[in-house]
Amino acid sequence: MAATDVTAMKKNMKRRQQKRNLVAYSFIAPNFIGFAVFTLGPIILALLMSFAEWDGSNPMKFVGFDNFINIFKDERFLASLKNTIVYSVFTVPVTLIMALGLAILLNQKIKGTNFFRTVAFFPYVASLVAVAAVWNMLFTPAKGGIVNQLIINVFHGEALKWAASSSTVMLTIIMFSVWKNMGYYMVIYLAGLQGISEDLYEAASLDGANSWQKFRHITVPQLKPTTFFVTIMLTINCFKVYDIVYMLAGGSNGVVNKSAMVLVYYIYEEAFRNWKLGQASAAALVLFAIVLVVTLIQFRGEKNYAND
Amino acid sequence: MKKKILSSLLAMTMVVASITACGEAADTTTTETADTQASTEAAPATEAATEAAAETADATSDEPVTLKWALWDVSSTVYYQPLIDAYTAAHPNVTIEMVDLGSTDYSTVLGTQLSGSGSDFDVVTVKDVPGYVSLVNKGVLEPLNDLIAQDGVDLSLYNGVTDQVTIDGNLYELPFRSDIWVLYYNKDIFDAAGVDYPTNDMTWDEYDALARSVTDTTAGSEIYGAHYHTWRSTIQLDGILDGKNTIVDGSYEFTKPYYEMVLNQQKDGVCMDYATLKTQGLHYSAAFAQGNVATMNMGTWFIATLIEKINSGEYTDCTNWGIVKYPHADGVEAGSTLSTITALAIPTSAPNKDAAWDFVKFVSGSEGAEVMASTGNIPAMTNDKIVDLIASMEGFPTDEASKEALVTSHTYLEMPANDKSSEIETVLNEQHDLIMNEEITVDEGIAAMNEGVQAIIGQ
Repeated sequence: MAATDVTAMKKNMKRRQQKRNLVAYSFIAPNFIGFAVFTLGPIILALLMSFAEWDGSNPMKFVGFDNFINIFKDERFLASLKNTIVYSVFTVPVTLIMALGLAILLNQKIKGTNFFRTVAFFPYVASLVAVAAVWNMLFTPAKGGIVNQLIINVFHGEALKWAASSSTVMLTIIMFSVWKNMGYYMVIYLAGLQGISEDLYEAASLDGANSWQKFRHITVPQLKPTTFFVTIMLTINCFKVYDIVYMLAGGSNGVVNKSAMVLVYYIYEEAFRNWKLGQASAAALVLFAIVLVVTLIQFRGEKNYAND
Repeated sequence: MKKKILSSLLAMTMVVASITACGEAADTTTTETADTQASTEAAPATEAATEAAAETADATSDEPVTLKWALWDVSSTVYYQPLIDAYTAAHPNVTIEMVDLGSTDYSTVLGTQLSGSGSDFDVVTVKDVPGYVSLVNKGVLEPLNDLIAQDGVDLSLYNGVTDQVTIDGNLYELPFRSDIWVLYYNKDIFDAAGVDYPTNDMTWDEYDALARSVTDTTAGSEIYGAHYHTWRSTIQLDGILDGKNTIVDGSYEFTKPYYEMVLNQQKDGVCMDYATLKTQGLHYSAAFAQGNVATMNMGTWFIATLIEKINSGEYTDCTNWGIVKYPHADGVEAGSTLSTITALAIPTSAPNKDAAWDFVKFVSGSEGAEVMASTGNIPAMTNDKIVDLIASMEGFPTDEASKEALVTSHTYLEMPANDKSSEIETVLNEQHDLIMNEEITVDEGIAAMNEGVQAIIGQ
């Protein structure tokens, strides 16, 4: 009697639990279905396609690892890999430092803070197409360009060709990217700074700490979670860069040269200009692997400091 | 265990869902810009036309048919609606729905739409030869040979262009528009400088000397004797006009004299600096409209734009323009020039192939050609009547030389039908950019082109 009661109760509980689960699932369903249809599905397809030769309409042909071998023989792919890494290696730390510096400056109680915050944030919200056009006007390769005039007359240097030359195009892109995005990360840092308790600074002042010591031993450690988040977001965004390169170095026919080609542009070109969907998918998987590895390393770093 | 099965099932359904979703997505986007009202309005055009309809429409049935036509730039292209009006006047049972895929990525978008089975276009416009070749390779275009033979379409009227786009003995498109390259010039600049106008028979040396003679490098009031848009075709392809080389041969020594001529002009301020043009993205029409460009090599598609913008008062500094034949190499007949064709094709997935073929035949044929000419555009099928029609258009230069300029002796496609054309383009564009930026010498650029293209051909 008692035993059956218990099993009945257990059954009942189980049913209730299932019901609750279903309700919960139904809540996440709208988002999850969208994710599954528009993100998960294509990812799985890309995985399959990377081992096949396909032009989008003729039958798919399984080719094993040929696509991967081919892209690593393709100097355009290697150039795009190199450029993406160079871009990330410079853009991530520079943006991080600029954003942190700006955040600290604009966290002071000075007149017009809100105005300056808006100024710093503005490039991020402005339309990429518009600011890229202005940027290309300032950094025009002509000797009469504003920046070139500055270089010639103030620094007595030589006029540079900026986005038009293969030696300076990455520099131009990195500068543009830092300028455009630092405002966004500044806002994240500002939020982080305001979350630091004043008590810590006060206690440090009483102990005779100077500004640098306060920054080094209070601000930086307290901002670690923010820095972690910013670094991951920045790195992933850097590897995904495409629009900035297209706008600054694409010219009038949208053709980006080897000197400025990045991974995502290579994927686009292989897939939709040359109709080599397999090769493009293989390149996309390489990109995925890189981002995954970088993120895992960063997560490990996060764990280490959390244990301190 | 159960959970695992459930989640893997879920994953599978998701994959399937995403595949079907792909097909459907293609379906819905095509109807976005449909423009059906105009063709129904145009139906009761003239009584004579309806009479003609009774005669010509007997080939196809009178049941109502809607043809879906893929094209670009509906709002700024002047000939789509007149073509549709002319056709539907004769075929009242046909409605034509235009689907605008945008001009920038037209070939890419069209290729994507025709992949798989989601699209239901009856007629597609083919923008350029590389786009054509990639569609043919994908196997999504219907071969037209049988239809051409059955209806006795005379391909000789297309001046040999159809031979250049025949692939393995099959023709998959019929051209309806064919642009040639000419030299535009601003008469006011020549008048002010007291220099004679360019002529229909100039060698490249004479052209170079002429451009230099009107150049003024005074800062602030520069006059550029020549203008080259950033496309590689403005320079590289000048070299194929002697008929001895093609752009897909894998050896590019023939481009050297033209690069040297333009680089010297660039150095001497005869033309604008390539790097500046590239980064500022200055459009060739804007450059010519500034009124300080004396001559510019460009295709005849610019004629309709020029006339329209001058009429609307947008262009005020280049109202006094003219055209002459493309300059030519020594010992080559004047009138050799580059051409591009715009053509119609029928996808293999088209729901109404017979009706589509009838429409294609009309647009590419002599009736369509007259409609094209009356809007200032050059049809693929040309004869004296067509040239007269264009030259008599309001706003077309009135001098005899400009009319004569439209008559060609030899035309060469900008890009011949070749399997590897898009990959070859990538190599040529890259080296063109480096040469024009003076990052490498012309010889280095040519060596790199030879090496790169030969590697592609050898694959």
